[in-house]
Amino acid sequence: MTKLPIKISARNVDVFYGATHAIKSVNVEIADKMVTSFIGPSGCGKSTFLRCINRMNDTIDVCRVTGDILIDAEDIYDRRVDPVQLRAKVGMVFQKPNPFPKSIYDNVAYGPKIHGMARNKLELDEIVEKSLRRAALWDEAKDRLQEPGTGLSGGQQQRLCIARAVATEPEVLLMDEPCSALDPIATAQIEQLIDELRSSYSVVIVTHSMAQASRVSDRTAFFHLGELVEYGDTSHIFTNPSDKRTESYITGRIG
Amino acid sequence: MVSLSFPFGVILVLAVIGYLAARRKAISMVQGNLRQLQALPQAYGQTVFFTTFLPAMVILLGWAFVVRIMGPSYALVSDGQFQAFVIFTAAAGLMLSYSRTKPSQRARAISERWIMGLLMAASALAILTTIGIVVSMLSESANFFRQHSWSDFFFGTVWAPNFRGGSELSILPLLWGTLYISFISLIIAVPVGLYAAIYLSEYASPSLRSVAKPAIEVLAGIPTIVYGLFALITVGPMLRDFFAQPMGLGSSSSSVMTAGLVMGVMLIPFVSSLSDDIINAVPQAMRDGSLGLGATKSETIRQVVVPAALPGIVGAVLLAASRAIGETMIVVLGAGAAARFDLNPFEAMTTVTVKIVSQLTGDTDFASPETLVAFALGLSLFVITLGLNIVALVIVRKYREQYE
Repeated sequence: MTKLPIKISARNVDVFYGATHAIKSVNVEIADKMVTSFIGPSGCGKSTFLRCINRMNDTIDVCRVTGDILIDAEDIYDRRVDPVQLRAKVGMVFQKPNPFPKSIYDNVAYGPKIHGMARNKLELDEIVEKSLRRAALWDEAKDRLQEPGTGLSGGQQQRLCIARAVATEPEVLLMDEPCSALDPIATAQIEQLIDELRSSYSVVIVTHSMAQASRVSDRTAFFHLGELVEYGDTSHIFTNPSDKRTESYITGRIG
Repeated sequence: MVSLSFPFGVILVLAVIGYLAARRKAISMVQGNLRQLQALPQAYGQTVFFTTFLPAMVILLGWAFVVRIMGPSYALVSDGQFQAFVIFTAAAGLMLSYSRTKPSQRARAISERWIMGLLMAASALAILTTIGIVVSMLSESANFFRQHSWSDFFFGTVWAPNFRGGSELSILPLLWGTLYISFISLIIAVPVGLYAAIYLSEYASPSLRSVAKPAIEVLAGIPTIVYGLFALITVGPMLRDFFAQPMGLGSSSSSVMTAGLVMGVMLIPFVSSLSDDIINAVPQAMRDGSLGLGATKSETIRQVVVPAALPGIVGAVLLAASRAIGETMIVVLGAGAAARFDLNPFEAMTTVTVKIVSQLTGDTDFASPETLVAFALGLSLFVITLGLNIVALVIVRKYREQYE
């Protein structure tokens, strides 16, 4: 792997759901301005690990996280870190498009408003336009900004959710199977978008599709039964995996 | 007078015989090889059962109803003849459908069509009853307006019924009391109920919720007369001694405030229980989406969860409002029976429903306007709550389009 500035680094991370040991001693370093994908069979813990990075697991009562996760060398599980502030810095896009029952404009303006990023309506308008452009939705949505976001198609809704996430100007963008509810055309649009987001953010994407991982990501991590089995350059993982389990998975023998 | 039990028994026996016979016939016609039947054997039985039972029953009930309402003089045939006719209908249905029983008959489809007819009749009954209620109210109200001027009823300001004649019967003072008391009760019930719902669905632990939610719902099971007693002996005197008299606002223990407070407590479970279910139905994905953007829990609730649940919450509030407008017992015991216009919440006032009861109790003469006014009041109340429900429906529909 080429040396790049590290954005996120996890050390000995374990996650428990009640008595279930979901993540077992994961160590990983995720680079800035790159796309990293997490692959693995269902239930392998890749989404759970992703949700540790913005502490979304805090909302689940029985979930317990041990070990350290550092973003820019700062421990995000430190007592002094406010998860609310953290999540503004680490944006998230979910598996199913989940626009709020508000207008397209208000969906995008939601984050900037609660974080006080705009001093007036004009600035807010600018942020909304910029975010929608970044999510490649501006041309389709500019004439219907006051219409409900739920009226968009599935692919458009997911791009709206991406626009909503980038509107708060995060440094890291987490995507939890963002295309699994979308058709191939919408998937292609989102993948192109991910390719463009790479220049501004550290993007981490969980995916079930190995083809998608190989198309969009620079680095790939393979999870199996809660362990991080192998992590490296995507081209390397897919052509010359060093672990037998990785090879079995990518050739379709397990998972 | 038409006797119902004898022909009913005969019809039922015929229908059961038909059921058993048809089922047996269907089985024996294919020599027990059930695969050759178009439907299960009991479907053949059901077909005969319904064809025997239902048409005869419809005639029987319809006839009894007409004779009872119109009087025996409308009966064109004697009782015995009529019973014979009903039994004949049932027997004819039995013979006809039994003779049609054969393996190629599509018995399941036929019996299901009968069942669908039954279901349709059940839903029609509810609607027809409502129409019946409105019609009876309309005719009595029309009687009232023939004897009393409508302008006094709708626009007068005094409620002074006098059974010797010359009464002033205006709905406005009563409507004022109704709206005033409902308003106070909603001011209490809506915020308290909504906050309770938000706490229970968003903050409370599952174990606390499983105890607290039923406990709040118990409030909804208390008979309103019990609330009324509470208003009469506890809340009313307390409000008078600690608020009204020291503040110089009157010395009546019955007051709008008493009834409004107690009714507000009564309505809390309506608002909270319904709102709680609705808030719980908001998908977790909405909360995750908001939290994932760095919103706090309270921002998420205020700006995402509650707006998403708003149509249902509005529905719950309007349901509570209809209850408040229709409530009688708490008002009688809490607010008294004096019809008057007043802004002072510590004065006794009364509502439409209370006056409906008082005009219809005791010795009443159904020809005098003093009694008939009850129907006009009832009809007005019905129109008001109907309007409220329509508004609720429109609001809910408008928002639902936006949210799905």
